Formats: sequence, C-alpha cells, structure tokens
Amino acid sequence: MSAVDRERLFWLTGMKLLVLSRGQALLDFVKELELVQMVSLLSLFLAVIFTFEHWLFEATARVCLLLFLLRPNSIRSPVFWLALSLSATFVIIHDWQAADNHKYLLLYWLWILFFCHLFGEPEQKRRTLIFNARFFLCFIFLAAAAQKLASPTYRSGEMFEYFLYVDSRFTAFGKLIGIDPTIPDAVQKSIGFFRSPFSQVIDNDLVLPGSDRARIAALVLTWWDLSLQLLIGSLLFLRRPRTDKFAHILLLFFVFTTYLPAPVFGFGWILAIMGFTLAKENFPRIAAVYMSCFVVILLYQVPWREWVLAM
Amino acid sequence: MSRQAYHWTGRIARAFSLWAPILCIPTVALLVAFRQVYLSNYRDLSTWKGGGMGMFAGADGSLNRYTKIFIADSHGKRQPLTQLPSEPTKLINRALNYPVRKNFLLAAKTIATLDWVAARQRMPVALIDANRQTTGTAPESYYMMVPFGRRPREETWKWDIQIEYWRLSYNPVTKHAHAVLAETFVFGPEELRP
Repeated sequence: MSAVDRERLFWLTGMKLLVLSRGQALLDFVKELELVQMVSLLSLFLAVIFTFEHWLFEATARVCLLLFLLRPNSIRSPVFWLALSLSATFVIIHDWQAADNHKYLLLYWLWILFFCHLFGEPEQKRRTLIFNARFFLCFIFLAAAAQKLASPTYRSGEMFEYFLYVDSRFTAFGKLIGIDPTIPDAVQKSIGFFRSPFSQVIDNDLVLPGSDRARIAALVLTWWDLSLQLLIGSLLFLRRPRTDKFAHILLLFFVFTTYLPAPVFGFGWILAIMGFTLAKENFPRIAAVYMSCFVVILLYQVPWREWVLAM
Repeated sequence: MSRQAYHWTGRIARAFSLWAPILCIPTVALLVAFRQVYLSNYRDLSTWKGGGMGMFAGADGSLNRYTKIFIADSHGKRQPLTQLPSEPTKLINRALNYPVRKNFLLAAKTIATLDWVAARQRMPVALIDANRQTTGTAPESYYMMVPFGRRPREETWKWDIQIEYWRLSYNPVTKHAHAVLAETFVFGPEELRP
C-alpha cells in the first residue's frame, strides 16, 4: 500500500468513525426525547418559519416563540396552542380559496396540539398525537392519490409535462435532466400568444415545441409520484409494524426527493413531524433520520434553481 | 334511572370525553375535503386549493387559467387593459383559483379605482396560425390602455369592465395546446362604484 493510499484510508476511516459517532449520538438523543415536548417544539418552529402570510398569524407566532424562549414551560399550555390555532383559523377562513392545502394541514395540526395539551394525562396526550399523525398521513396521501387518479390531466402526464415547460420551479429541474432550456422558453413564448389581447390564435389551437424527453420525464414523474403516495397511505392504513417500517422508509424517500424540486418546504416539514411522531417509539433509528430531514429541508431553500438556470 | 342505565351513560360520557377531542379535527378535515371536491367538480375551484389535499393533482391552477380584461363604453366598444399593477393582478390570480363572479368583481372594483389612458395609436391584432406564425391581422384593432395613477374620487366611473376567463389545456400526445373561453364576466358602472 502506497503512502497516498494509506493516507486516504486513514481519512476515510476517520470520516466513517465521525459519521458513526455522530449518528449514534443523534440516535441516543432521539431516544431520550419526550415525544409530546419534541413534537410541540418542532411544530412551534414550523409555525414560525413556514408561517401563514398574514400579519395576525405572524404576530401571534412570534409572540409565542418569544414566550417560549422566556418561559419554556409555556409550550405545554393549551392556551399557547389555542392562540396559534385561533389566529390560523381566522386566516384560513378569511382566505380559504387561496390557501394551499398544506396551510390547511398546518391549521389542523395546531388544533391537534391544542387538544393534546388539553389532556392532563401524558398517555392521553401521546395517544392524541399518534392517532392524528397516522390519520393525517393516511388522509393526505390517499386523498392526493384519489384526486390524481380521478384527474385526466394528471393521468395523461399533461400536468407534469406542461409544468416542465412553464413553471419556474420545474424548468431548472428540467434542465438538470437534459431538457434543452430553449424549449421551455419557446413554449412560454407560444403561450403568450393566447394570453395577449393583441394576438388572435386561429381556432385557439397551437402546436407547442415540446420535446420527447420532457414527455418521458413527465410520465415517469406522474406514475412515480402517484405510486409512492398510494403506497405510503395504504401501508400506514394497515397499522402493522412491518408495513409501518416500510411506509416510513418510503415517506423519508418522498420527503428527501420531493421537496428538492417542489419548494413547498412547510409541507415537507409537517410530513416529517408526523412521521417522527409515529416512528419515535417503535423505530428510533428512523426517527433519527426524520430529525435530519428538518435540517435537509432548510438546506433545500438555497437558490439552486437560479444557479442551475445560470449555468 | 336504573343502576345499569346510569353505568352505561357514565361509560358513554367517558368515552365521548376521551375520543371527541381526538376525533373532531379529523372529522373537520374530512368535511372540508368533501366540500373541496364538490366545489372543484361543480364550481371550478382549483384542486390545489381549498383543503382537498389535491396538490399536483391536475392542470387546473393559475398556469392553465388566464384572463383577458377589457374596458367597454356605452356603445359596446372595448379596449384591452394592459400592465395591470400588482394589487389587481393579485386579485385576478386569486380569482383564477375560484373563478366565480364575486371574486372577479373584487378585482374589477380595484381596476376601477385606477385612471386608464389609451395609447395614441391603435394596435392591430395579429392572427397566429397553429404553427405560431403570423398570417395577417384580424379585422379588429385596439387602443392599448395603461394605468395612470389613481382616479380622483369625485370622478364617476362610467364604463363596463369585461373579464374573459380562459382555460388552457395541452395534449401531450399531439403537442397541441388549446384555449377555451370559459366565461365572460361583465360588470356595469353601478357595480364598480365603491
């Protein structure tokens, strides 16, 4: 073995030990955590970081955060969660038709935390959280899968292909998978003919300069997304340790891969909280991976799309 | 009340107090989702909005819907409004998620608070064929209307605002995009006054 190889081996072994020791430390940390306390803390950060864009909720969430920093025990008070839930309810009712689905999910989760802290017994608190985490994970994935199966524009691959051309969140991803950036530009220009009052498209029909690569990518995305969601929802619905474990692995895969191209970080964060809630007691290793999810989702916010498009 | 009935009432009350707080939010979530599915099917509410968990479930968001907005005089002559400021643009985009008259009226009212001026020259409307080539000009031509600050309050609004709501679909097999005029909302001057 040459000196260079020896040095490389030394560094590799060192790195492996470091990762393992850190991983073990994270696992021990997760095992020690108290479920309700940890979920409450993560949810408070969710409410502050990926908040409702309305002054009432923003102000309430910040006051709650300050209150928590000054008096950490306040996070156990139902009044604390009632304030967040009520302000979120006001915001959703005020603008129900414009609120994204994950904002509804955040609202439901805040109310669940309120009811959880309303109970005096720790076992009842735990039960409230675990029951609702499972219910909402099944609900989100099965409802989404049902809506996708019922939608002809989803099943045909139309939605993802169109998004690869016209949605700025997907055009960078399209470039990464080899779709020529001039194609989305040309499609967007063509769509402009429809939208402009100074152009009249004959028979309202245009041939778009789409690409076969985008078509294939769209079909792969369509069926990958649907099958993954259907599988996660169904496996969790069965409530068996083995199916639960498999569902957690798929959910982690979903969170790690979906929220890189789709910048709905609040949704990723809340899914990870629910997954963590379910996994914490039965699968501590998986719960530790959920913990790393929170960091990864925050890192996904770097402006990588701009970097890719500028390349 | 007999002892047995009392016993059962107590058990039911205990179970209710135990399970009601746990089950009430899932029940609400299901009701909201059913309502969203109904509105999505019958009132064109986007699957992306409204709590039905149908994100990325269909091409019926703001990228597949658009509007063309016109101002019309008492003789029915209409001119397109362009360069909408951010506030009416926001309201139009909001209305596109749930394209009902009430939502477009909000946007139209905001548009009516602005002063609109016409460009000096009429602009022709280009005719575009299926292959995106200009083949000539349409018989009509328009003055381009652009916003010019807020309209003085004492000045009465005298025109109609017409908002055409269009839906766009794309056939991935033939690569054809097709636009359909779904509805034209017309708002008279009385409706638009603050």
